[in-house]
Amino acid sequence: MATATKTLHGLPENVIFCKKCLISNQRPSTQREFKKSDTIIDTVGFGDDGICDTCKWFEYKNTQISWDAREKELQELCDRFRRNDGRYDVIVPASGGKDSIYVAHLLKNKYNMNPLTVTWAPHMYTDIGWTNFNHMIEAGLDNIKVTPNGKIHRLLTRLAFENLVNPFQPFIIGQKNVAPRAALQYDVPLIMYGENQAEAHNHFSENLSPLMDISHFSTKTATEDMYFGGVHVNDLKKNYGVTDNDLYLYKPLLEDEIRAKNVEVHFFSYYVNWSPQENYYYVKENTGFESNPDGRSEGTYTKFASLDDKIDGQHYYTMYIKFGQGRAMNDANRDIRDGFITREEAVDLMNKYDGEFPKKYFQEVLDYMGITEERYWEVIDKSRSPHLWDKVDGEWKLKHPTK
Amino acid sequence: MKRVIARLDIKLNRLIKGIHLEGWRFLGDPKPFFMDYYENGIDEIVYIDSISSLYNRDSMKELVSETTRNVFVPITVGGGIRSVGQAHEMLRSGADKVAINTGAIKNPELITEVAKNFGSQCMVISIQAKRVAPNKWEAYIDTGRESSGKDVIEWVREAVDRGAGEIFLTSVDMDGTTKGMDLALIEAVSKEVDVPVIASGGFGKPMDFVDACKYADAVAIAKQLHYKKATIQEIKKLALQNNINVRFEE
Repeated sequence: MATATKTLHGLPENVIFCKKCLISNQRPSTQREFKKSDTIIDTVGFGDDGICDTCKWFEYKNTQISWDAREKELQELCDRFRRNDGRYDVIVPASGGKDSIYVAHLLKNKYNMNPLTVTWAPHMYTDIGWTNFNHMIEAGLDNIKVTPNGKIHRLLTRLAFENLVNPFQPFIIGQKNVAPRAALQYDVPLIMYGENQAEAHNHFSENLSPLMDISHFSTKTATEDMYFGGVHVNDLKKNYGVTDNDLYLYKPLLEDEIRAKNVEVHFFSYYVNWSPQENYYYVKENTGFESNPDGRSEGTYTKFASLDDKIDGQHYYTMYIKFGQGRAMNDANRDIRDGFITREEAVDLMNKYDGEFPKKYFQEVLDYMGITEERYWEVIDKSRSPHLWDKVDGEWKLKHPTK
Repeated sequence: MKRVIARLDIKLNRLIKGIHLEGWRFLGDPKPFFMDYYENGIDEIVYIDSISSLYNRDSMKELVSETTRNVFVPITVGGGIRSVGQAHEMLRSGADKVAINTGAIKNPELITEVAKNFGSQCMVISIQAKRVAPNKWEAYIDTGRESSGKDVIEWVREAVDRGAGEIFLTSVDMDGTTKGMDLALIEAVSKEVDVPVIASGGFGKPMDFVDACKYADAVAIAKQLHYKKATIQEIKKLALQNNINVRFEE
């Protein structure tokens, strides 16, 4: 086990890389965001054979699942919820990216559902993000967009950066609540997410169910301890002048309300063989979706993923600083498991792109958080765990290059 | 004489086809594809190893020699060529021409060297053009992923001055869309230089060949051939009806 003096963030001291993909045992798994008071995380599962849980899951998925049977299950699910009285019958949380457009478009056009897409606004829309958001609506999909006020969102973004070194957290928190809340408001008991997070970096067993555990977006009581940007709600009120109303969109819902309305949250990736590459082809062929007009995104080789928020690059960069693995790693692991590239190719791609600093929107991100560049680097450098980073001739270097 | 060219994007010796040069969907072993195109009267074949330049690899030699054993039309190979030595190896494996993009932009002298060593007819400058304004395009590298900052028209001029004997011109905006070719781009490049221009990206229907050949000397087609949405015969028939001279046998 890690000790506080040798590693930060609760990371295991001994760094190992999966033999099949490039993920290391330093990567976090998904946890309830509104419970985080510091940067300590749980890491992905690894077997004694040196293969990560995710790759084991993919091996299972590629050999043991009958996708025809799963599609039948999807048909049955849709039949159970489909409405013909003019109301919506499924909520699809959607950014307007390739994955969410794919899910909503397919549900509507192939499965004859009546989806309402629900968007939790990014911190700062990129031009291409805004364009694709509109392409989604133009493709025949109704939408409601929920946007938190800029004052609270900026504050929480800064606090999340300073305390958790994750400026993306306010987005993640709000995104988890926005669809269930819309489900209650519009009386639509079915929510369909795209990919189960577990496919990328959670424990194997979570993939066996089509359902998302409601603990990710609800609590038993409204008075439970909660943290936003790593700060307890009481302290946010006391020290930052935050009101209950300011926090309305960030606070999870109540379990009883969810249960009373029989809201079910499903993952589309349970029912279809999910592949980001194939989703890209689908939306290119069926909607006006556009890929990144600048070419590849900073920090990786792809040009079709995670395009809508100017802060996205920082999300991946802070991961790279804290865990030694960034955006290219994310994309490459996915492409290895889907059989698009070999592990050797992925190593080359990682070495070329991973950890590239996202400079394009850097100044805007600083302005958004209201901090100086000096402060930014202070937070970044403090979060480099000594077991991962070395300073060589004034330059930070990873001690364990991916190989 | 105008040419119909089959473009095969290759990754790990398998045929792939993206959209805007993005996406790695496998279509299968390239062999049945190139055999089919050869038997149906293709004039040339272009192989692009579509991600080799991303991470400095070359793996095309085997595929090239296998193709040349079975197919007797000119073969152009591109993707990841960064030195005269690599160009030489591709030619020795049986390629008739090499197409160079990233390697030439990073080191324009490479064009001069390849042309000097093997002749301008071997040295195809490959361009990945992205529209940045009406009638203005920027040259991209690394399979449409990275801006080079170079204006396409100026770069084409320089490449030809350095000895490039042919231009393989891909529209990143139209690639894989089947929505028609970027005719303004093809026109602008063809008017700038005297060497043959192969237009690539966006072919959807046989009439697109006719339209592009107003300016281009050849059209490279990928998706519509791979997915059997167009045949070489129907393209050539339509060309003849429009008084475009092509090599044609029933």
